Amino acid sequence: MNSAFTVFMRYVARVEVGLKPGHSDPEGETTRDSLAEMNYAVESVKVGKVYELFVEASSLEEAEKMVDEMCRRLLANPVKDNYKVSIEESR
Amino acid sequence: MSQQIYIRKDAQFELFEVNILHADDKQLIQISEEMGLALNLKEMRTIKNYFVQKNRNPTDVELQTLGQTWSEHCFHKTFKGTILTPEGKRIDSLFRTYIAKATLELNKPWCLSVFEDNAGIVQFQDDIAVAAKVETHNHPSAIEPFGGAATGTGGVIRDVLGVWADPIACTDVLGFGPLDYDYNKLPSGIKHPKYVFRGVVAGIGCYGNNMGIPTVNGAIYFDESFTGNVVVYCGCIGTLPIDKYIKKAKPGHHLVLAGGRTGRDGIHGVTFASLELTEKSEEVSRPAVQIANPIEEEKLKRAIIKIRDQKLASSITDLGGGGLSSAVGEAAHKYRCGAKVALEKVPLKYPNIPPWEIYISESQERMLITVPKMNLQDTLEIFASEDVEATDIGTLTTEQALRLTYDGTVVADVDMDFLFNPPKITKKVEWKKVEYTEPTFSEPEDLTSILVDLLSSPNIASKESVIRTYDHEVKGNTVLKPLCGIHGGPSDAAVIKPLDNSYRGLVISCGINPQYGKIDAYWMAASNIDEAIRNNIAVGGQRIALLDNFVWGSPEKPDRLGSLMKACEACYNYAKGFETPFISGKDSLYNESPLGPVTPTLLITAIGIIPDVRKTVSMDLKASGDLVYLVGQTYPELGGSEYYRRLGYIGCSVPVVRLNEAKRTMDRISKAIEAGCVKACHDLSEGGLAVSAAEMAFSGDLGMDVSLTRFPQSVPITRNDFVLFSESNSRFLVEVPEKAKEDFEAAMKGSNYACIGRVTKEKCLLIRGLNGEPVIQADLDMLRDAWKKLFGG
Amino acid sequence: MDRNNIKACIVRVGGTNCDAETKRSFEELGVKAEVRHLSEIAKSNNLLEFDILVFPGGFSFGDYVRAGAILAKSFSAKLNRRLKAFVEEGKPILGICNGFQVLVEAGLLPAFNGISKYPEAALATNLPIGFRCRWVYLKHENSGKCVFTKKIPKGKVLRMPIAHAEGRFMFPKDSEGSCLERLVDNDQLVFRYCDEQGRGAGGKYPYNPNGSFYGIAGICNPEGTVFGLMPHPERAFYGWQLPDWTKGEKPSEFVDGRLIFESVVEHVAAKL
Repeated sequence: MNSAFTVFMRYVARVEVGLKPGHSDPEGETTRDSLAEMNYAVESVKVGKVYELFVEASSLEEAEKMVDEMCRRLLANPVKDNYKVSIEESR
Repeated sequence: MSQQIYIRKDAQFELFEVNILHADDKQLIQISEEMGLALNLKEMRTIKNYFVQKNRNPTDVELQTLGQTWSEHCFHKTFKGTILTPEGKRIDSLFRTYIAKATLELNKPWCLSVFEDNAGIVQFQDDIAVAAKVETHNHPSAIEPFGGAATGTGGVIRDVLGVWADPIACTDVLGFGPLDYDYNKLPSGIKHPKYVFRGVVAGIGCYGNNMGIPTVNGAIYFDESFTGNVVVYCGCIGTLPIDKYIKKAKPGHHLVLAGGRTGRDGIHGVTFASLELTEKSEEVSRPAVQIANPIEEEKLKRAIIKIRDQKLASSITDLGGGGLSSAVGEAAHKYRCGAKVALEKVPLKYPNIPPWEIYISESQERMLITVPKMNLQDTLEIFASEDVEATDIGTLTTEQALRLTYDGTVVADVDMDFLFNPPKITKKVEWKKVEYTEPTFSEPEDLTSILVDLLSSPNIASKESVIRTYDHEVKGNTVLKPLCGIHGGPSDAAVIKPLDNSYRGLVISCGINPQYGKIDAYWMAASNIDEAIRNNIAVGGQRIALLDNFVWGSPEKPDRLGSLMKACEACYNYAKGFETPFISGKDSLYNESPLGPVTPTLLITAIGIIPDVRKTVSMDLKASGDLVYLVGQTYPELGGSEYYRRLGYIGCSVPVVRLNEAKRTMDRISKAIEAGCVKACHDLSEGGLAVSAAEMAFSGDLGMDVSLTRFPQSVPITRNDFVLFSESNSRFLVEVPEKAKEDFEAAMKGSNYACIGRVTKEKCLLIRGLNGEPVIQADLDMLRDAWKKLFGG
Repeated sequence: MDRNNIKACIVRVGGTNCDAETKRSFEELGVKAEVRHLSEIAKSNNLLEFDILVFPGGFSFGDYVRAGAILAKSFSAKLNRRLKAFVEEGKPILGICNGFQVLVEAGLLPAFNGISKYPEAALATNLPIGFRCRWVYLKHENSGKCVFTKKIPKGKVLRMPIAHAEGRFMFPKDSEGSCLERLVDNDQLVFRYCDEQGRGAGGKYPYNPNGSFYGIAGICNPEGTVFGLMPHPERAFYGWQLPDWTKGEKPSEFVDGRLIFESVVEHVAAKL
């Protein structure tokens, strides 16, 4: 039985999805304006989404590959979004 | 040594016995406060006596259940209690004495179910009924504007589902403090009106839009007193086949809880609504705010409608304030049953929630239906097919008791009779004298610039930027939208065509004017009823039913209760007089903040019928050359007017309603519209004749040339500004084509009306004064820009 | 083919909410239209029995992640082969509003080289920001490829309402010029936002209500059989739905949106 040799580890992946540079970010601009109204001088605001994924994989590399695929297929739209993944073992 | 009050029971879960048997008055109050029951001493003593007879202490679950069931929000203690007047008069229930009495006496056969269910139900056509409900969600919105407003909308939609109706439209009337409120004047714990405004508007849009229910009617009103007490009215209207209105639960029927899971959200929302907001509210009340999930409710709605159409269930109720405690209690009480519920069966968002919290949690998007055993399987399958979790949590019983268990342990056992008979309260009223006097000042020279100011003032200005964030077209049945004409004018009412196979329509309108409430609550109520009805009639509405929603200060204070009673009196007199029964209503009391009480505010919602939506009349001018009529008499009534406000006054000459005259006017307008001789019609309200004329003109992009030399009056008015800006009730501006002149005048016979001018193709509003000289002269673009300046879209 | 034999499938999931009026629009034209839950379609496995597939408006799956994204992936995951076959057989697919977002996220539009694995376009947050419900003018730009607009003369100006928060059509920034060229060359451009006279909106609000690139409001695939648009034709079907119909004596019976349904129904009827 193969599974006897495969040790699955648990990982937590933090995925940040944000707009690619050069794209208008109306949500960010609105937030900046609102902060300015409250007398906070903020040069610019970028808005994104954070996902925390709890996954099982045989290795860190495999986990990374899997999460990267998830980003490209669902979590980000490559036309406008960038994404950043950081993964670590979880217990 | 004092006795221990809370005794942890030996159980696998958290359960406390509360040592009430040995508690003195001080401790009773302490218990009420510590457990967040919001019960007063008399009520706590009654509970103590009950358990003394039972010879045992109550559990935390029992006390919490009583706290919820007896709360102001669930039981309406003030409206059902006794009131003593300074003259020694004794009013037994404001509700029965005034509100319900009008309905009862009018005894309209088309009122199918009034006041007794989650929403009022009236006949729409032979086999179809309309259900309507308006709720308030002020306190939660003050703490968390987005979530409070969203769950308010979600809650009222469930009220409509709770009478087996399919929700087809939402209405929302909002009240905020001035958006330019000085940040430095804001007490801690109170959020800035701008923040509240943004959050509330977004919350309402989020829920209605996501569920696919058009938000078709509403109003936004700004008042200083709303800074500390935001006002959020959420309304919903639905349709149902009359034969599918099934409410006949019996002992043995299963209690099925469906929808979202239960968490700690919204614990103590009900009792919290019965308390005044204090500086600490934010800190202590945060968990009282519920989290909204409109998609869950959308799925729930689909399942409920399927179950309705297959007639699988024997009754239905929503979970709102008080959560399960209120829903189970109501279901059992209504059908004269008891109930037993196994609380461990309730699906939870996370483990280890003690039974009392499960039972009173106000987690959103949940409904309770009762189902005969033979239909249980089919019912659960329908929920599953819509991805909705549904659980059989208990049954109705023949015993007249509420029995709750958790893993087999009895955690509550209370007699239904006791649960639903809280001690009656008696309160005193006092009449407060009008604080304001009529100002004296001379007529300003430049009335055009005053008109421009009024058009751009917050209560009159276009609310387009808000309205467009609500989907008012989804379902594709909105015949008259909130903004009408080529330039998005302010519709008097919304018209919906609910059935694909019929042109019969539903007309939805409202009336609200808190400014009058500052002067006289009686005339405010009368004026609001008049306004809601005339808005409805202006577009072609007939056979009107009303909903009342009171937002008032603390009824513990005799002056607040006094004005509430006066408003109720007016409700009776005018609902009866206009023959427009109340079918549903709700009160939100205790709206007090460190900034003071809320201005007495009554929202009247009117639901009318238009036999053929293709005869709908909108308010924008249609064709140059047409005649312009002013219908209804103008009086020097400027107290509480927007004109006085602009000049820094309130005054005391509040508009009154002269019933016979008003009825005649409305009746004739209806006839004229029915006869097809009206091209445009607009009611006169805030800002009076001048504002209405301007709105009609710039919405239709046609000018108007009218004169004040001949307008209907019985008391002579000698000042142009008074005629232009008086807010006398029961008045309309009407556009009539030349060819329909005779028919129109025939229809109007017996009412007070006058032809005051014509529609022109020049894009200019020209109003000639009492002496025939122009007093207002302005380009339509300029007027429109002024109107759209603040919240244009 | 007799119109009563044409079957349209209107897909719904939790959050879909324009299914009833979309169904009504097809039924008005004599077509048999059925609203089917995605799980039902997946289970009964009968997608190919339908002649037209429609993704209606709404907030499928609460617009979580991105509007349309979850339904797009979920539909593809459950019915991938059948969906491909449906497209390959040239059966028409319509996406309205949220449905358009689904088609783009699913790679069915613009589908320059067939169905794409990753989206080739995006419907981003409106500019100016916010959900907006209003009537817009659209110019028909298609030269005859799109089966949903065959009955609409090129250059005609139509009126329909929009109601969305994420409708700003865009291509990848670094290739938007070439993508547009391709779109036009393939005759995949269908509707652009314009003013009353049909002049391009030029990116100016409110004529271009969401900041869409090139004012793009609707596009089709290279074959002209898959079509998505942000405006709601089902809300511009009857005269009484117009925002200013009261201006006339009586509402006209039908208005612009109907042409879209009429076009595709006629196309299918002729083909079968």
